[in-house]
Amino acid sequence: MDYFIEPVKSDCEDILSRFQRTESVRYEEFATIWRKMDFPSIFYGKMPANETRAFCRLVLTTAYPFLLPPYNFQIRVGGLYLLYGLYNTQLAVPKEKISIALKDWENIMKFLQDALSSQHYDVCYIFRQLISDKAFYFAAMPKQLIFQVKRKPKRQVVCEEFRDRPARVKELITSDTLEEIMNVQEHYEKLKAAISATPGQPDPAISLINKDLGTSLQNTVTGYQKWLDGMAGKKNESGDAVADPGEGTSQQGESSRRAELLASIKSKSYGQLVEASKSRRHRQVEMDPLASEAERSHEPTRKRMPSLKARTKKNLLSKGNLKQEILEATKQWRLSVTEEDKSERPRQKARFKY
Amino acid sequence: MAASGASASASDDVPTYEYIDINTKPFHVGTFEKFWKESLNPKYYSFQDVDQETEDEEFAAEIGILPETVNELKVTCSKDTLRCHPENQPPDTDVVPADPGLITLRMKKRRQDYKETLIRDSTSRQDFYATELEGLGIGKRPADLQDMVPEGEIILNVNVLFPILHERFKYFRARQTLHVLGSHRLTDLRDAICCLSDLQVSGEFSQTPDIAPEFISKDLFKSAFFFLEGIFYNDMRYPECKDLSQTIREWGESHNFPTFQTAKMEDTRFRDLRIKVGYPYLYCHQGDCEHVVIITDIRLAHRDDCLDQKLYPLLTYKHRMVCRKCGVCNLYISRWITTNDSFAPTDPCLFCEICFRMLHYDTKGNKLGQFLAFPYVDAGAFN
Ligand SMILES: [Zn+2]
Ligand SMILES: [Zn+2]
Repeated sequence: MDYFIEPVKSDCEDILSRFQRTESVRYEEFATIWRKMDFPSIFYGKMPANETRAFCRLVLTTAYPFLLPPYNFQIRVGGLYLLYGLYNTQLAVPKEKISIALKDWENIMKFLQDALSSQHYDVCYIFRQLISDKAFYFAAMPKQLIFQVKRKPKRQVVCEEFRDRPARVKELITSDTLEEIMNVQEHYEKLKAAISATPGQPDPAISLINKDLGTSLQNTVTGYQKWLDGMAGKKNESGDAVADPGEGTSQQGESSRRAELLASIKSKSYGQLVEASKSRRHRQVEMDPLASEAERSHEPTRKRMPSLKARTKKNLLSKGNLKQEILEATKQWRLSVTEEDKSERPRQKARFKY
Repeated sequence: MAASGASASASDDVPTYEYIDINTKPFHVGTFEKFWKESLNPKYYSFQDVDQETEDEEFAAEIGILPETVNELKVTCSKDTLRCHPENQPPDTDVVPADPGLITLRMKKRRQDYKETLIRDSTSRQDFYATELEGLGIGKRPADLQDMVPEGEIILNVNVLFPILHERFKYFRARQTLHVLGSHRLTDLRDAICCLSDLQVSGEFSQTPDIAPEFISKDLFKSAFFFLEGIFYNDMRYPECKDLSQTIREWGESHNFPTFQTAKMEDTRFRDLRIKVGYPYLYCHQGDCEHVVIITDIRLAHRDDCLDQKLYPLLTYKHRMVCRKCGVCNLYISRWITTNDSFAPTDPCLFCEICFRMLHYDTKGNKLGQFLAFPYVDAGAFN
């Protein structure tokens, strides 16, 4: 059954990214995409009854993580709608349930609270429907665990476009950590000056670190925040344009106003820090918002060395013509083999491969 | 929307992964249950169906919106919006559509096309029986309301693997799956595990075939233990029970292992346990018959579960073994195995109860000819 995980996951990502493009959290938008994609057909196709059940369970457990962080609010709304759709269109009788883990419950409650305070009533209503349909198992874990230790554990890949981005930077660099970094930097510079031969001037040989570390970090963060706010603003504008003229507009407006407020609070806290550190360091700092651009796009990539087997094969076997023979020799595992057996060796069974 | 259990978030008893997708860290089952019940509105896990009308009214009142808005929501969010075909033309759900857009369907389509090339294609019998067994418990209600599973009771899903007794099982893990309740004791699970070594009868009975059933191992050797999270739980219900774990503990002590604790199986409820979900534990009986036991899932009981307490521990899956049939009639399951048998075509030879009696004894039950007879327990005895 596990071979279905990947395709189901990419189908879910597909519908959610289409939903993301609408830049809306309205259920109507989702339902339109759902119908256009004929999503319920994911359950079609003949299967033995217990496999049907296992497949439904697999689909639901695959869709479940989209309801949780690190995905952003819009994707989580989409994830909830997706679960609602999948739960109600599945073919198992009685319906397979969605397992909610205890550790995720509080998170989901917070999410609903957010939805409610931004007046996204359709989100609350859909969740309420699932609850009253008894669609959930209140469980220990979101799936059954059978100690399936794999030799090559699969990394859980989070679709990057769906991530809740601002939170990551915010978590990493708070104004507290920034201040801490600056203090350390200052202390470090002083130390260097103290041990240097020319008093008051740090030895140029040990100036290995960017002197403006704190400031440039802070600029990067502020710049990023501004860029994000710009994006959010754009989103809200277009959202307003698309949304129906009734309650939709007021809701969108409401939530964007909230976002603006939040953003302004954030930028203020960074701004204050700039002032403080400047005064402390008695030095003018040049702003360079573009310099950080390159740093941001730079992501560490790691290249994997091919395996020993692959390297041997490449080095030895690809050169000579004796390739076939060698391969043949290592394949034979019996001491004596009849001629027919030999000729018959590469036997292929027409088995179905996923 | 619900009373939130703020205390729960920080506790060790909220299950989290130790290794992702493999097993959880140990947690106390009873506390886990308490946390869920504290954070949920009892309506959420009640077995009663909810009335949609009152539900909508409550929803409106709770979040403070007008009934008209709820009615609007009801229309926009109705389940009809999920339907992708005209109301009176349901599609054939057995057939994958011709030109599917979804990746999953493309894969299913390939399999369907492949299946069409097969000359015969039958559901494996293993699957067939599994479906049947699964269906047995669903939605069952007790005849007597006294036996109703209480709302909010927890259900543990337990996989018991069969030991590798045979070369063939090396590549396939035969198992049985049971549902037990939080109020069950470990002995309830022990009694529900059906293992062939409990049924073995040792000895030669060609003179006295009638008394063989009196020597079943289950009745002779009653000791057993579970080993969970460093504690041996011994079955001590009968005076003749021994502490099977003693040898292991003594060995452990002499090899500088930390001392293991012991407890009584019959005194321990599942609710009292501190365990990891998904982690392999041990059940040992008949001295050396060892089973891996995995608790795969713990959750609150659901309206659609079997709610008759008497039917628990509930068997939900059982691997079917291949039966060896009688060497004479090839119809019934074998009960006896004989050696040095002048009547038998092979040595050793298997017989069902009827053929064995007909061939080896006269009408008065006297033994005919020379042979040795041993009771035989077939692997398919529990099918
Ligand atoms: Zn056993
Ligand atoms: Zn027979």
